[in-house]
This record gives sequence, structure tokens and C-alpha cells, in this order.
Amino acid sequence: MRTAFTRRNFLKAGIVAGVAIKISSLPQRVEARLIETPPKPGSDWLNAKGKPNYRLDAIAKVTGEKTFSRDYRARDLDGWPQAQSHAFLLHATRTDRAFAGIDLTLLGEDLQPDRVVLHEDLVADGIEIPVPGFYGDVFLVPNGQTARLLGQPVALLVYHDFARYDAAKRRVRFDDTVVRYGEAAPSTTPGHYAAARYVRIDGGDPYAEDRYSSLKETVIRAGFAGDEPQWPAAGAADPMARGMAAAAEIGKEIAAAGEDVLVLKRSYFSQSIDASAMEADNGNVWYDPSTGILRAMIATQSPYEVAEVSAHMLSKSAHPLREIDLKVGYTVGYGTKDHTIFPFFCVLAGLYGEGRPVRLANDRYEQFQTGLKRHAFWMDNVLAIDRKTGKFRAMTGTYRNDGGGRENFSASVGAVGATAAQSIYYLPKSDFSAATVASRAVDAGSTRGYGTLQTMAATEMMLDEAAELLGMDAMDLRLANILRSGMKNTQGAIPAGAMRHEEIIERARAHPLWRERESRKAAFEAENPGKKYGVGYGHVQKDYGTGAEAALAALSFDAGGRLSFAHVAHEMGTGTTTAQAIMVADILGVAPDDTEYGRVKWPQMPLNTKDQPYTTPQDEEDRLKLDPRWTPSFTSPMSASNSVYYLGHATREAARLLVELAVWPAAKALWSRGIGGGQMAPEAVRREDLRLAGGMVNAAGLQPLAFADVAAEAHRQGLVTGITVHTFNRWQWAEAEFDLGDGPRRFAIDALAVRYGEGALAERKALMTLDGWHFVDRNAAFYPPVQRNNAGVTYYAPMATLAEVVVDTATGDVSLLSHHSIMDCGTHVVPELVSGQVQGGLAMGIGHVLKEYLPLYEDGPGDGTWNWNRYELPMASDVAVWSQTVDFLPPLSDTDPPRGMAEVVMIAVVPAVANAITHATGKRFYSLPITPEKILEALA
Amino acid sequence: MTLTTVKLTLTVNGEQVGPVDVPETMMMQDFLHEYLGLTGSRMGCGQGICHACTVIVEKEDGSLSEMRTCITGVQWFAGRKVRTVEGHARRDGDGAITELSPVQRAFIEHFSFQCGYCTPGFVAAATVFLDGLKKKPVRRDALEQAISDALGKHICRCTGYVRYFEAVRDLALKTPGLVEA
Repeated sequence: MRTAFTRRNFLKAGIVAGVAIKISSLPQRVEARLIETPPKPGSDWLNAKGKPNYRLDAIAKVTGEKTFSRDYRARDLDGWPQAQSHAFLLHATRTDRAFAGIDLTLLGEDLQPDRVVLHEDLVADGIEIPVPGFYGDVFLVPNGQTARLLGQPVALLVYHDFARYDAAKRRVRFDDTVVRYGEAAPSTTPGHYAAARYVRIDGGDPYAEDRYSSLKETVIRAGFAGDEPQWPAAGAADPMARGMAAAAEIGKEIAAAGEDVLVLKRSYFSQSIDASAMEADNGNVWYDPSTGILRAMIATQSPYEVAEVSAHMLSKSAHPLREIDLKVGYTVGYGTKDHTIFPFFCVLAGLYGEGRPVRLANDRYEQFQTGLKRHAFWMDNVLAIDRKTGKFRAMTGTYRNDGGGRENFSASVGAVGATAAQSIYYLPKSDFSAATVASRAVDAGSTRGYGTLQTMAATEMMLDEAAELLGMDAMDLRLANILRSGMKNTQGAIPAGAMRHEEIIERARAHPLWRERESRKAAFEAENPGKKYGVGYGHVQKDYGTGAEAALAALSFDAGGRLSFAHVAHEMGTGTTTAQAIMVADILGVAPDDTEYGRVKWPQMPLNTKDQPYTTPQDEEDRLKLDPRWTPSFTSPMSASNSVYYLGHATREAARLLVELAVWPAAKALWSRGIGGGQMAPEAVRREDLRLAGGMVNAAGLQPLAFADVAAEAHRQGLVTGITVHTFNRWQWAEAEFDLGDGPRRFAIDALAVRYGEGALAERKALMTLDGWHFVDRNAAFYPPVQRNNAGVTYYAPMATLAEVVVDTATGDVSLLSHHSIMDCGTHVVPELVSGQVQGGLAMGIGHVLKEYLPLYEDGPGDGTWNWNRYELPMASDVAVWSQTVDFLPPLSDTDPPRGMAEVVMIAVVPAVANAITHATGKRFYSLPITPEKILEALA
Repeated sequence: MTLTTVKLTLTVNGEQVGPVDVPETMMMQDFLHEYLGLTGSRMGCGQGICHACTVIVEKEDGSLSEMRTCITGVQWFAGRKVRTVEGHARRDGDGAITELSPVQRAFIEHFSFQCGYCTPGFVAAATVFLDGLKKKPVRRDALEQAISDALGKHICRCTGYVRYFEAVRDLALKTPGLVEA
């Protein structure tokens, strides 16, 4: 969920306030496309079953070909000059004194930059921060003012040759004389960002209509007075007042709880971390003032946003802009390359290259200093439990997350954290609020977990303590409270599909690690004096998607059956490019011969959008959707575990439509040839008998047809031979009705373009006016109601982890002996990619619970001295590399959809390890990471 | 200050490079990236921690060793033979790949990497490790620990290491002469 705090909404707010730019005109001058990464996979990449022998990008990556954006230089890019410049930024490392200029004396004469760019230069050239607020108010610290945040750049230095750039950058690193400071000056850190509150009281049981919920009424929002959110007054006048009354009722009930209720109050802290994506932020930008074309190659998870906002950024500047040509390579960011400010610093660098391409690439110190962080969370939980039954009566959570000195997605992360705090439990009454505060810390943003790791880990640690206090088995306590299918979440929405937590718990409690934990503990500790053994369990569910997921995909075949596939998705390491191609193969029985990912230019989809999916009122949306070319949002970034389910939906719908509109009618035609309806006539063959696999088209006992022959027939008849779809999801799929000449049909897409075969009639071909495609105006569109935004989330993937640890009481060191995870992620498109995600997520979670830590302020990453020597990442020896297992629940059916699971996989292990350390030591820990120092202190 | 340059000659992936003037303070990684266009040996930390920049140095006696290029000055490589990740697979006259190395093949078949940024360092480490086993095989019951020791300093942020390690184990087991019963 990104709720109402998206970059797009800020952008639109700016337009409403009179910012002179028309977004609707931007797509025409914005072009982004993925580099075609050589070498292509060999002919052996698919096995006989249509599954991949290796990733689509495997050969390129394992041979060191240029794949990442970071690998590219100007000389590698078609049409760019061979020679290029290099730039780096100087940063402020304090926020209490005014910036007073830079002193480059130590560089001597020969290492002086060819160009220095300061804030005042940007002002003179009319360059303003894009999306004020979201990205702060200034790129570079103005002379005479304090930095908004630690690590904020103060100057851009451009060099026209690498050698001098390299030597100069090494020279100024760690030097505290280069950036000069004046007198103490007022803070320029922005005010606190936002507060949101989700209150719910059920209607007497989990299935009855709620008395109050955010879905039914509203999310309660507040500003700040000082450091505290100023919630509306309780009352009956409006939805927010009623929500506050409901919150007050819950508070009173907890305060008045009697002896029969355990009221557990605990406070937790989850630290700020650096995602440490191994590819640091980088980009090449070439701005040619003579043509007004800005060409860029930038590492980003959100290329469409980068192109669009770059155009916005230059719209009022002295730099004429006619076209943006953005290329993106493969990259990796775990969320931190989604809507980050760095690409716009790259654009700045390009503007001051004096016509030469400029490369701006963070080293690791700079990446720590400026890369988006995971939010630190302070969490105060109260859980009221019926002592007799173990049933939860109510839970409240008051959360505070520190977004640092630029807002970015921080308010959204806080809100998502609040909505996830229930973890896997049903709560009859709940009141969760998030106050997102600003500080001088390095800015935090969209980072794997998106607030949920913090709050769910706390809830799971609390559950373990509650069981102990109640004298209950922790699994029994979970079973008494799990969220079951059809029950509502804390926003009042019913999650999609079956909730399979009970199956997971039963598997976990039957696992030897859990079943034998006490006997193993006794045996281990008897044999290993000074060491304590423990087993812990954590069980969570993580939403996937944003509540406004849009995507495009195109599939078409030629008369020879050669299949071409294009998609907006691009590769972040998760394997989405492989999985999307396999989804096509799973439906059509043949994999695409040609693939293009990261496509942003879709001339066949002339859609109109204001990109305000969260904030458009219902009556306005009802009016807008009458335009058959309107959609709430054009496309989504690569984020929020959205690739397999949401982006995959576009792929699957395109493939299914191709089956319906091309393969099935063409195959029927071939089977019906001859007198009396041919071989098909004597059989009762139905559409559901159709089977596509191994490049063959089968139905019942009919003669198998090669896909290529069916494709040829579709072309001969002039049937549909290409499909482009646009999809949209607001916690349920938008649908639309189309008429292709044979009556209305309704599909789970909101826009459609088709291509007709070679034998099509002239009048049909005449419709293909958009780059060879016919955009089919829909008859009607059916969008999920706007109110559904308040659902927060309806799609979840669950995962549980059992962790087996040993604590050395002499050193406080924690060793992970083994771990076992259980998860439900529906159908596995490529099982190897799924298990790889699990293994990688577990490692990242282990890092969070045991090792990774960043101070927020003066001694934190903004000081420019942090690297992996002092910031400890999980190594192979930390993750039980040889002794970890995972157990997947079988899909419920062969149509069980795949679930987004790239984030949930790292969360359950956090409370599992924490609870295991408690089992080992008898001590509870409320602050992460659980370091040897904290353990020794607890054991002292 | 003045940038002092030195003349450098070395062998990279079987081909002589230089003599070429390079700044004497330049790190090998930057030379590979900016002068030779070989960007596969990746910049991760710049301090020798993550090992993503590791290349192989081929010694006179035919043995192989790892070297981190982010913290090793370019001059150290003068006269030496270096194999970067771009030099492991066989290629035809046009530079097209015709055959992956056994380690590369094992990694792709095991879906060992995700983003792949660290992959070049793991290719180097695993190649050196398996080359060492040819001369000094490892007992089967010590294989996993030997792999952990050989690859344990390499950082991977995506995969949790499991599929890299399993790929090396499987390759060691199926390659005759590397593992003793």
C-alpha cells in the first residue's frame, strides 16, 4: 500500500497550485527502454517441460557482460559520444551550522574540477527540486543555510577526465576542511510529515458488519503540534470523529480490564538499516543543449517516474528540453531505488557537462551517506487477552517512524506498518496509529518490508511473551487467534482467498525442531557448558502490491508462429523476466522467442490518466471512466513484491486472450476442415478441453496441432494475432467489456489493443493505426470502488520460520544452527526462483535481527565514513547455509495464483531468532538488533 | 599536486595489454573499468570487504590465486597474468560465447545468483577453490567446510549464499579427483 502519499499525488498537488506543466503532454516526449542485454540465452534455456534450465539473464550475468546500469559508460551507448565526464558530490556532515562554501585548496592546481555547481547556480538556471516535499526543498544546501539532513550534498564537481576525477575524489574523501561551515544557524529540517490511524470495532463476530472500520468509514489523519500528532476530537459528526470515539472506547475497555484479562504493555525498537544493494546508485546523463535532448542511463526501480519527473524538473529551467531518452539496465535496490532523489542528481550532473555525457556514481561511503534507509520504528503495543480462553480482546499500537530529512514514502511506510501490526491474528478491536516524524537523519524510504518487518516482528515477539505469561503453549495461543478465511483485517477488509495459517502452524509444531526443543535444549546444554540452546518461532503475513497496481503487456505471433513478448517489468534480480516468459509458456505452451522488458513506450495504448488513483473522488472517477481511454494509473514501479502477481496478471491476461481470440478459433478451424465438419464434428469438443503444452495444441482426441500451424491459420484467417493489455488493481481487479465484432466480452483488464493477421480484411487492417495495433474502445469499465483504498491491503502471503540458535554466554555471540521455514505463495512459476527468494530473504532478516545497525544522527551514515567494514552484513557463516530448509504448502488448485513473496520471506525469521534467544537465555529483548553486548548485559 | 603516471604492461584474459600510461595511484578495478571496459569485476565496497571485485591471478607455476582489485593498485599487476570474469568462458573469433566454464555452468544451472552483482567474485573464488582441489583433494566429510572457508568472505545480498555453495559442492562431487571418499 502506498496510500495517498505517492509522489504522483504530490506532483498533482503542485499542478493544482499552479505549477506550469501539463503532465498529459509528457508521455509523448518521454521514452524509456531497457538495454537489450547480450548475450541472449542459448537454445537450451527451456527444458522439455517448458521450464527454464537457467534464468533468462543467466549467461549475461555469469560471464560479466554489461548488465547493470553501473556497467555502462557513454562509449557503450549507441549514439553517445565516446568521451565523457565524471562527477561527484560534496556533502554536509553537520546540520547545526550554516554552509559557508567549499575550499578545494587541498586539490592543488591540477585536480581542480572543470565545473563546480552550487545551489546558487541552480537558482540562476531555474532548476527547482522536483515534487517539493517528497524530495525536500533544495538539491544542494544554499550558502548561509544549514543542511536539511546529514549527508545532504552541497556541491557538484565535474571533471572531464577520469584520472583527475578519481584522484580528486580520493583526495577529498574523509577530509573535513573541504566543506566549510559558518555560525550556528536555525534548523532547516522539515516539520513532521503525517500521522494516520486505523481503528476497528467488529460487529460482534469476525463476519458481521463492523461497527467501525477504516474501510467502512475512514482512515483518521492528523497533523502535529510539536512532536505529537493532533488527532481529531471524538464525536459523532463525521467519520474521523466517530473513529476517535471508537478508539476511546477501546482505550477505556483496556483500562477497565479486570483480573480475567491479561493486559500486556510492551515497547519495542527496530533500527535503521542500509539496504546495501551491491550496485550503488549511479547514472550517466548526456544533455545536448543544441538539440534539447536529454539522454540518460540510470539505475532505477521506477524508470517511468524518473523520465516523467526529470521532464518536470527542467520545465521551468534555462535548459531547453525537447525529449528525454531514458535507458535502464538491470539493477537491484530492495526498494531503495524506487522514487529516490539520486537519479535527479544524475540529471543535474548531465546538465553541467558542457555538452558531454557525465557519470555520477556513488562509492560505498557515499551510498551509505545518501541511499534511502529502512525506517527506525519505536513501537508501543498493548494487547488485552482473555486469560481463560487465550482470545485476544483488543490490541493497540502507537508507532513512530523516523523518515529523516526528506519525506519520500515515509508517511506511507508508517501507515503500512500500522496496518500490518496485527500480523496473523484476528483482532475484534484494534487501534493502530503511525506518526511519521522528520529529523536530520539520512532519509528513509521504500525498503524491503516497508514498515511491516518492524511492526509484525514486535507483535510476534509479544505473542511469545504473552504465551509465557498466560502459561499457554505459544502455538495454541496462535491457533486461538489466527486470522481465518473470510475474517477481516484491521482495516475491515476481507483478505483475498484462503488464509492457511492453521496448516502452517500444524506443520511447524510437528517439526522436530519445535516438538523436541526442550529435550534438545537439555541435551545440548549438558554437553556444552557455557552455551545456551533455544528454538524460536515467528509467523507473519505480508501484503503485496500498492492498491494502485497498473501494468502493460503485449503478446503477438507472426505467421511462422514466432512469439514476441513485451512488458513494462524490468529485472531487479528477482527473476521477473524469466518468470513472465514462463507464465506465457504455461498458458500458450510455447515460450516467447523474442522478449523486451522495461518498455515504457506503448503507442498502441493511448491512455489518458491523471495518475491519481488514490485521491480521485468516486463521482469524478465515475465520470472519467466513461472515456474509454481513461485509466487511474498508467504503470507501476518495480516494487512492493508486485511482479509475479500484479505484473504477471497482465502477462497472463494477454496470453489468455490470445488463446481465446486466436488459438482456439484457429485450431477449431483446422480441426473442422473437410466435409461434414471434419474430425471435430463427431466429438463433443469444448473450449475447456483445449490443452497447450510443449509447442502443441491439443483438445480431446483430436489430431495434435503444432502451435506454428495454428498461428499460420490465425494469420490466414485474419484473426487476432496480437494482444496488448493494460491492467489495474485497487485491491481487486478492474474489468472492462469489449466488443470485437462478436458480441460483448468482459475481461479482467481495462484497456485492450489487438493486431489482426495477414489475411484480415482491408477494413480491419485499416483499424491498425497505432504502430500496427487497433486500440479497442471498451464498452464499459468496472473499477473497484474508490473507498477500497481504505482497505489498506487484501493480498497477503504468509510465512513462518523456526530458528535454532546457540548463545555463547561468555561472548554473547549467537550462532544459528539451523532454520526451517514454511510458506504459502500459491503456484510457483519457477520453483528455483521462489526458493532463492526465500533463502535470500532469510539472510537479510538474520542481518536485521542480529547484526545490522545504523545510528541515526551525527555518528550515523550521513557522516560519510560508513562502509561494510563497520556495518556488518550477514555472511554465509551467519545464515546456516548448509542446514536450512523450507516447506511450501501445495497450491490449493492448479489455478491458485502465484503470490508476491519477495518481502515476507525476510520477516518471520526476525521474531523467530529473537524468540529463540529468549528460549536459550530466559531473557527478552525489545530492541533490535540483538547484539552480543545486549545479551551480555542481560545475562550479567 | 601532480598526477604521476607509470607505464603498465600486463596480460588480461590471455591478451597483452600495454604498455599504457596509468596514474600510479589508480586501483586495478578502475583500470579494468575505465581503461579496458571490463566492468564485470564489480565495485562493491572499495575497501576489500565484499570481494565482488575479485579477479584471478595466474601464477607462473600454473596455480591460481584470488586478488581484490578495489584495494590493489594497478602497478601490482605489472607483468602478471589476470583472468577477469569476462575471461572464463570460451569465445569464438567474434567474441561470442561458445562454452561456459564448469563453474559458470554450475552457477546458472543452480540458479545461484539473483541480481548477479557479486557473481564475478564468486566465479573467481569457486574457480580457484576447485583448481586447488585438483592438487589437493578434500575428504567428503570436509567438503562443505572447505567450501565455506573458500567462499565465506564473499558477500551476496540477494541469495543467502545457499545456491552458490550447493553449486560448488555438486560440481566438486561430480568432477573426478576433487573429493576423496
